[in-house]
Amino acid sequence: MKAIGKWLVHAALTLAAMLALLAWVGGAINWNQEPPYSLVHSWGEKGNGAGQFNDPTGIAVTNTEVFVSDARNGRIQVFDHEGRYKWEFGTTGDGIGELGRPMNLTIHDEKLYVPEYMNDRIQVFSLAGKSLALIGGPGEEPGQFNAPGGVALADDGDLFVADFYNHRVQHLRADGAFVKQWGTTGETGKGAGEFTYPTDVTFAGDGTLYVADGYGNRVQAFDAGGDFLHKWGGPFALGLYGPFKGWLTTATSVAVGPEGNVFVADFYNDRIQKFAADGGYLTAFGSKPENPGHTAMAVAIGSDGTVWSVNFADNRVEKWQPVK
Amino acid sequence: MIKKLSLLLSALIFSVAVLAVDNHYVLGVDGLACPFCAYGIEKRLNKIEGVTDVQVDVGESVVHVSMREGKTLTEDRASQAVDEAGFTLRSFSEAEGETGGNDAQ
Repeated sequence: MKAIGKWLVHAALTLAAMLALLAWVGGAINWNQEPPYSLVHSWGEKGNGAGQFNDPTGIAVTNTEVFVSDARNGRIQVFDHEGRYKWEFGTTGDGIGELGRPMNLTIHDEKLYVPEYMNDRIQVFSLAGKSLALIGGPGEEPGQFNAPGGVALADDGDLFVADFYNHRVQHLRADGAFVKQWGTTGETGKGAGEFTYPTDVTFAGDGTLYVADGYGNRVQAFDAGGDFLHKWGGPFALGLYGPFKGWLTTATSVAVGPEGNVFVADFYNDRIQKFAADGGYLTAFGSKPENPGHTAMAVAIGSDGTVWSVNFADNRVEKWQPVK
Repeated sequence: MIKKLSLLLSALIFSVAVLAVDNHYVLGVDGLACPFCAYGIEKRLNKIEGVTDVQVDVGESVVHVSMREGKTLTEDRASQAVDEAGFTLRSFSEAEGETGGNDAQ
C-alpha cells in the first residue's frame, strides 16, 4: 500500500513537471512581460492614388517623415507623422530610379536603402528620392542576390543583406564588394548561422546584428565580429511555428528600438512581438485582418519609441504607442 | 466618318479575336498569403516564355497565368516553377476567358 502511494506521488509530480514544461514551451509561463501597445493612428486603403497602397511591404522613419514601400505600385510614398501624404518617387520597372517590388526599407546616414525583390538589387536613394547607386544583381554568386528582402547598414557604410532565396546573409562593402556570408547558398538550415528564407536584418546600437530568419520562424543574433550569439522563436529556436508567446510564424521584418528591444513582424500571427535583446518575450500587439491575408508585414521604430508598421492585408500604415 | 467607324470596328473585332485565343491557366498553391512567397511564384512564372500576366489570388489560394497566343503552359513546367519558389502545385487547370490586365512586374 505504501509502495502504491509513493508511486502515485511520483506519477503526480512527473505529470505536473511535464505540464509545466509544456506550458513553458507554449509560452504560457512568462514572468518578463510588458503591457501591449495601442493603435493611435492608421491610414491608407487599396489603390494607386496618393495615400493608397497596393501591397505595402516595408517602412522606415525619420524624425519627421515616414517612408513606405508600395510594392505593386512600384513606388515609395512619403508621409508626415500624422499620415498626411507629402510626396512619392519611383515607378515600376528595372531602370535607374525604377522599382521592382521594394521590400523592407532602411535609412542610414541620410540615405534610403531599398531592396528590390524582382530586380535582385539594392537601390540607394537620397532622402529627396534621387537614385544614388545600384548594388548587386541577379544570381547566387558572391555579391549577387535572389530576392533581397532587407538590408542593414554598419557605421562604416558596409551593407548586410538578407538574401531571401539564396538562404544567406551577405556582408558587402558600400560599393557592393563581397566580404563574407552567413548561411549556405541555396540551402536551408536550422542550425546556428543557417537560414531558411531570411527576410530582414537590422543593427542594434551595440553592433549586434539581428536577422529575421523568415520561414525559419526565429531571430538570430550575431556580434559585431560576426560570431553567432543566440537565437529565439519557438522551442529551442528549431524552426517550429505557432501562435504562442515568443513563437513566430514567418518573421518578415525586424527592428530595434531606442532601448535596445527587438521588434519582429510575426506575419501569419498578425502581430508585432517585442523582445528584450536576449530574446526574452515582452509583449505583442497587432491588427486582425479585415481582408483576405495577414497584417503584420513590416516594422520600424521611431527615435521616441513609437512603433510603425504596415498592415499588408488591409493596405494601411499603423502607428502604435505603449499603453500608459 | 464611315471609314473611321469601319476601322474602329475592325480593330475592335481583331483585338477581341486576339484575346479569345490567349491561353489562361489556374494553379492551386497553398500558403500564398505572404508577399515573400507570392512574389517568388510570380517571379518564376514570369520567366517562362510566353507568359504575359500572373495574378495571385490570396483569398482563393490560386495563381492565374495568361499566355501569349500560341503558347501553352504544361503542368510539368508550372509545377517546376512553383517548386522552385518553395511550394507545391496543388491543382492545375486551363481556364476559359480573360483574367485581367498586366500586373507582372
